[in-house]
Amino acid sequence: MKKKLISLLLSTALAATLLAGCGSSAADTAAPAADSGAQEAAPAADDSAAADTAAPAANAGGTTYALVTKSAGNPFMERMASGFQEAIEAQGGTVVIQNPEAATPDAQISVIQSLISQGVSSIAVDGNDANALTAVLTEASNAGIKVLTLDSDVAPDTRTVYCNQAGVSQIGETLMEAVYDLTGGEGDWAILSATSQATNQNAWIDAMKKLMESDSKYAKLNLVEVAYGDDEPQKSTDQTQALLQNYPDLKVICAPTTVGIAAAAKVLQDQKSSVKLTGLGLPSEMAEYIGDDDAHSCPYMYLWNPIDLGRLAGYTSIALVDGTITGAAGDKFTAGELGDYTIEEIDGSTQIILGPPFKFDPSNIDEWKTVY
Amino acid sequence: MAGRSGREISAVPETSIKSKLLSWEGALILILVAVNILGVAISPNYNVNNVLREMPRYLAEIFMMFGMGYILVLGDIDISVGALVCLAGTVTVLSSNAGAPFGLAVVICLAAGLLGGMLNGFIATKFTELPTMIVTLGTQIIFRGIAEVLFETWGNGGGTASMTDTKGLMLLAKKIGPFPISFFCVIIAGAIMITVLAKTTFGRKLYAIGSNKTAAYYAGIKVQRIRFICYSLLGFLSGLCALFLLTATFGSNTTTGQGFEMEVIAMCVFGGIATTGGKGNLIGAFIAAFIIVCLRIALGQRNINTQVILVIIGLMLIVSVLVPALSGALTAKKKKAQT
Repeated sequence: MKKKLISLLLSTALAATLLAGCGSSAADTAAPAADSGAQEAAPAADDSAAADTAAPAANAGGTTYALVTKSAGNPFMERMASGFQEAIEAQGGTVVIQNPEAATPDAQISVIQSLISQGVSSIAVDGNDANALTAVLTEASNAGIKVLTLDSDVAPDTRTVYCNQAGVSQIGETLMEAVYDLTGGEGDWAILSATSQATNQNAWIDAMKKLMESDSKYAKLNLVEVAYGDDEPQKSTDQTQALLQNYPDLKVICAPTTVGIAAAAKVLQDQKSSVKLTGLGLPSEMAEYIGDDDAHSCPYMYLWNPIDLGRLAGYTSIALVDGTITGAAGDKFTAGELGDYTIEEIDGSTQIILGPPFKFDPSNIDEWKTVY
Repeated sequence: MAGRSGREISAVPETSIKSKLLSWEGALILILVAVNILGVAISPNYNVNNVLREMPRYLAEIFMMFGMGYILVLGDIDISVGALVCLAGTVTVLSSNAGAPFGLAVVICLAAGLLGGMLNGFIATKFTELPTMIVTLGTQIIFRGIAEVLFETWGNGGGTASMTDTKGLMLLAKKIGPFPISFFCVIIAGAIMITVLAKTTFGRKLYAIGSNKTAAYYAGIKVQRIRFICYSLLGFLSGLCALFLLTATFGSNTTTGQGFEMEVIAMCVFGGIATTGGKGNLIGAFIAAFIIVCLRIALGQRNINTQVILVIIGLMLIVSVLVPALSGALTAKKKKAQT
């Protein structure tokens, strides 16, 4: 009996500390901007919250724009989020940035459901899966929330517009040309990708494969394997080592993912391998591996500016919410310092293309490595 | 509670109202109330409609939790069920896309779960010297592996597929008032599973096996047969979980169900079921499941970092295991002091 009394007391104490703990952690974690906005909104919303159903108008304190990234702890996502936040806060909006607990669509569903409850004005999603978010994003649209995507797209009819970092064919051509250049036009090469279901990765890989089939220039190139490092440093390292072991004649690895290319660069440089690397990488992470001589594993690589991509998504969110654009092809708007953009119809889906991929080589890497 | 022989019979539960109120389940109800008060206090959007709207994805997991409760009471563990959800979901989506009517797809989904569970049960009962953790670790990899192969052979490339005919799923995702259908299904399934475990001889046998397998065997209980039934049941419920998860995602991919096994084990343990077997009941686990779900929804609406939410739930779990252990140690000390 005593034992149970004690357990009861302890558990009420637990509940109490939980209450206190959550109250304080709420104030200092998550987006600070979101906090102030939500607190302003709270008194107004408190009166009506009980009566309101899934109230989109609960945030009376200002317009709230949400961004859902792929996962936490990814430098690319962090830079993208900072651009998004900057663009919107400059216009006086409130920003909510949510990193799902795992890089899975399931985790994104929970986060988006929560944002629907909060009644945000727009949700920009970096999709972990093309199809799995269909139901929840349709629900968001039905609740009057503007849905857009950036970086990695979802099913086109579930969102208004997709902020594309660069056209798929543009990236495919750029990377294929780099592989052609680094191999000298013939020989074995491999791809180190992220996860097997990453929409953008698969689109770029498909574009490269199609180019190899259609253009006789690439006929002597032999793609030996597409390896998946799941955007985890350790797994990407293991996959790179496996590629080196399995294909002794390998000349080039192309890693169109920032996590993969950094892991592969370290492996190649540590092992003083003659295999060369190219792909898409963050300058700050890749600076020590970029160089023309044999001591460096990566002669050059490409990327777009994730900060600008975040900014573009921020300006697009604002334009969608204030009604400047509806997401139809041909709509025009001004994205602050980025300039004017037009929504284009590409492969039956509406997109805004940021610009061509940017080349990082020994001549400019020192300047860019401090930027992102 | 001394028996006629004068010895303490610890496995026989006390039944007075006072002891029921002061039990772990009573504490759990208080925590559930506290979590809901917390929700209303920290989020202006925490109300019945929003909570029920966010709930279906979590409700799917609760089906699986009932089966996991049985397995834990047996003193076993099954960590393959998350992968089994992925496999069952995948065959359902692919068969539906290949032209199977919705009814057949549902049968395929449940059958896939049941077969997976039976495989676990078969290996666990035929090779009793193997720890079930290792057996199910193996089948976990196998199930997800099969799902990935299926995507490659029958999918449209990439590790993901969405259901093209969603009419049937829409029907299952319907709501009666603010309540999703899956909510009622969880309540019904819960009532059956709780009653079977608490009130039938079958349930009593599970506790006997969980407390002492050898003694249970000599008492005439068909230990292996019951273990097989429990694994199959958990598999079937994983199929059910996959089905209701599909109503929220309309598709399956290689990461579907990732981590579900640990989440349901956490719900059970938080609810007072000991992983060593023979202790706890499903009512506690059922309440604990709703505590975790409500807490996640409340903190999520406050935009608290999802990683911080995981830390909080992890801490709660450890404390919940520590509390009975500490109070147990205290009582033991006291008894020692008295004698």
